[in-house]
Amino acid sequence: MNIVLNPVIINSVIAVIITVLICLVVSTFLPGIERKYVHARIQQRIGPPVTSPGIFAPIKFMFKENIEPNSPVSGLYKALPIVCFLVVLCLIIISTPQLFAIPALASIVAIVGLLKVEEVCYVLMGALSKSIMSLPMPFPDTIKGAVHRDSERSFIEDLSAKRSLRMIAYGSFPLYLALFVPVTQARSIFLPTIVSYQFTHGPVLFTASGIVGAIVFFIGYMIMLNEYPFSIIKAKSDVIEGPYMEYASKYRAVVYITRGFLMFTLAALFLVLYCGIPLFGLGIIFAIIAALVFVLFMGIFSAFTPVFTNKQLYPVIVGLSLLGVLAIVLGLL
Amino acid sequence: MDEKLPRSEVIETEIPLGPVHPAALEPYRVRLFVEDEIVQEAEITIGVNHRGVERIMEGLPVEKANALTEKICGICSNAHVWNSVRTAEMALDIEIPERASYIRIIMGELERLHSHFLYLAHGCETLAHETFSMRLFYLRETIMELLAMIGGNRVQYGCGIIGGVRPRCELDDAKIARIRTDLDAVETKLADFADRFTSDTIVMSRITGTGVLPQKQALKLAVTGPTLRATGVANDVRVDMPEYEPFDFNIITQEGGDVKANLLIRVLESFESIKIIRQALDNLPEGPIVDRTWEMVDSEPVHSYIEVPRGILYHSYGLEDGKVRSCVIRTPSMANIGAMQYAAIGNHVTDAQLCIVQCDPCFTCTDRAIEIIRRD
Repeated sequence: MNIVLNPVIINSVIAVIITVLICLVVSTFLPGIERKYVHARIQQRIGPPVTSPGIFAPIKFMFKENIEPNSPVSGLYKALPIVCFLVVLCLIIISTPQLFAIPALASIVAIVGLLKVEEVCYVLMGALSKSIMSLPMPFPDTIKGAVHRDSERSFIEDLSAKRSLRMIAYGSFPLYLALFVPVTQARSIFLPTIVSYQFTHGPVLFTASGIVGAIVFFIGYMIMLNEYPFSIIKAKSDVIEGPYMEYASKYRAVVYITRGFLMFTLAALFLVLYCGIPLFGLGIIFAIIAALVFVLFMGIFSAFTPVFTNKQLYPVIVGLSLLGVLAIVLGLL
Repeated sequence: MDEKLPRSEVIETEIPLGPVHPAALEPYRVRLFVEDEIVQEAEITIGVNHRGVERIMEGLPVEKANALTEKICGICSNAHVWNSVRTAEMALDIEIPERASYIRIIMGELERLHSHFLYLAHGCETLAHETFSMRLFYLRETIMELLAMIGGNRVQYGCGIIGGVRPRCELDDAKIARIRTDLDAVETKLADFADRFTSDTIVMSRITGTGVLPQKQALKLAVTGPTLRATGVANDVRVDMPEYEPFDFNIITQEGGDVKANLLIRVLESFESIKIIRQALDNLPEGPIVDRTWEMVDSEPVHSYIEVPRGILYHSYGLEDGKVRSCVIRTPSMANIGAMQYAAIGNHVTDAQLCIVQCDPCFTCTDRAIEIIRRD
């Protein structure tokens, strides 16, 4: 009882809530900024209103009628965006200094674990979605002369699930390597130690390993956000929306909000790990700047690249992983 | 890769794409048979948008039938009406004024330009390279505006009529000057695009060696148009068309038959089209643009072949009491379906749509014209 009513804890909880709310509000603008001020500017078109993709689209979907997804476990399928949102929420909370007092949470291991949960959710979404795009007809719908009349028909979301699994296996590897670069310098997996190390020794970002690690982190950020050219799990040319295909109404709204929130959260994590600035006070301003810089570069990069297939993805991932290893080695020296 | 053989015996999974799919501009269904995301076989099904235009045309007065052919395709509407009136003119032995022939050539080549730009933009969109795609759409916009200026519409300009072209398509000095200015700008921007496109290593890595159609296979499948020329075969019906005799242009060919060859051939052909239009404007003869002195007579079915943006377009019909009979239309996409299916084999699923798009499909055009065979 005393612990709960402890003014320090109450103040910390209030501070975390306020920080999260500010971040959530700011994050809703990020998809709009990317589309309006980066993609549209590059492509010399007007683009959507800046508030449309991140704010008004979710609000619109909130009030739409829900269409029950065609899924063998529709309850779980509908719950997955909420799980993703909670994961991102945990990540942003971890970035606040108030949580540094709980070492089990404020550590690289917790961050890696939470990001892995996010990735597993994509696999489950893909596996559980059975959209009408691939639904077989209740009668043989092959044409005259068709060679394969009784082939097993797969849902295109199954492709997304398989690709998500591959991304877990190797695709997101560079991001995790980049997360460990500050660990090699601070010699600790705990965020308070990493932050305090940078307070005394200067930001990791301004070291050789930090620069290499930051590049790898940025590409890993794009991979985690499934942004072009790494958007193999939701490539328009084959799997369309992929795991998100069957989401409608408020579930789709959560998907949109989560994406913007993840854009902000990963930038905030970068700030904590590479600059030693936790998410509080002025740190929020720096996090907003970092998020805008990330969005700007991501928008430029994605506007000028086609979607990758395995032929391009494998060498890029291998190259980035090697860069990540190099950053870690440099950090250990 | 010389020849890809479909592996009919081992099929792991079928992945259906379409008939409604955002990467496909038109309603068609593709059944992809894949193993580990590599396409082993592909099957394209059309018929979703069938209208049977040929059957509707039969029994109509030839002037009405000509107007109807324009509705077959939105992209190459002028090509259909041109070939239809050309068929009627061959049947009625009409020689059109030289100025009208030149205006038809200008319209035809402008249509080729906008069709090729649409193809390139769609190709880039399928690659998920939206920036290139948008820039090409801007280029196309200039051509569309020129077509609207001449014909009065952005699509379906109704230029050709039996005996010449419609009076509204007459080119005065102001129109000619604008066409020249706009073509100069388009040429510069297209050259800039081509330079940037070919120097983009990531894009080149995606399209080089993707969707290969060997020359031998292309000839076997009776492929036509730029898709055939992209395999190295110099085949262009324009060379045999008397309308094109006064013009100096090259038949563009590429080697490889892959997506890269197909994209580049359209870029290079666009430069040739600009060259032809310039020659037509420079040497535009004076005189009337339509000859209305012809008389209607009955005739046996006559055949007319012209080179449209996608390949050879065939129109055939006979005349009886001024009405159309025995009408047959064959669009180039009909001939290229086999190539689309073949090109997808051996490629990644993500590239399957790209392999289909590389053959510049126009299925609604094909669908509307194809004949349903009754089973009795």
